[in-house]
Amino acid sequence: MASSTIQEPFDLIRLSLSERVFVKLRGDRELTGILHAYDGHMNLIMSDVEETIMLVDVVDGAPPGQPATVNVAKRKMPMLFVRGDGVILVSPPSRT
Amino acid sequence: MDDTTPPPPPADQSPPPPPPVQTHTGSPTDFLKGVVGKRVIVRLTSGVDYCGVLSCLDGYMNIALEQTEEHVNGAVTNRYGDAFIRGNNVLYISAAEAI
Repeated sequence: MASSTIQEPFDLIRLSLSERVFVKLRGDRELTGILHAYDGHMNLIMSDVEETIMLVDVVDGAPPGQPATVNVAKRKMPMLFVRGDGVILVSPPSRT
Repeated sequence: MDDTTPPPPPADQSPPPPPPVQTHTGSPTDFLKGVVGKRVIVRLTSGVDYCGVLSCLDGYMNIALEQTEEHVNGAVTNRYGDAFIRGNNVLYISAAEAI
């Protein structure tokens, strides 16, 4: 199990280098891509990245309880620098 | 005739209630040491909850969780085998089982 080699949270990231990771960002954005580098701020260098942007349309005057329509936009980027302060969560590929 | 009224009886001086029985003492650091390896609920400032087993954490409150479920408004929205949460997003860490 991976927990035997993890002493600090950054070890989880170190073990994910060169792997495809899921990154949750502020502003309802998510990334999946291959992690190439990171630092103590959680600045990230990723390649082969797909960004998913959740856009929630709030309809004025809509009855309460009506589900808000969620539009999903996607785009791809070959290489990306992510500034660390936008990162909420990083999840490595499941090691099963 | 001396009609001085007697002094009022002294106010009820019952002793203060005993402090509640403390089941756990210690600093925040002691709490965090106690919950490593246990199931916890991490709430972010955005209101999202992450329930999982706390692998470890550091001085920035960066958190590594295992077997994590993401809850939004009570519904499970995602599952992660492992998850790193950047500490600045953390509102609180709640023990989900006995320490």
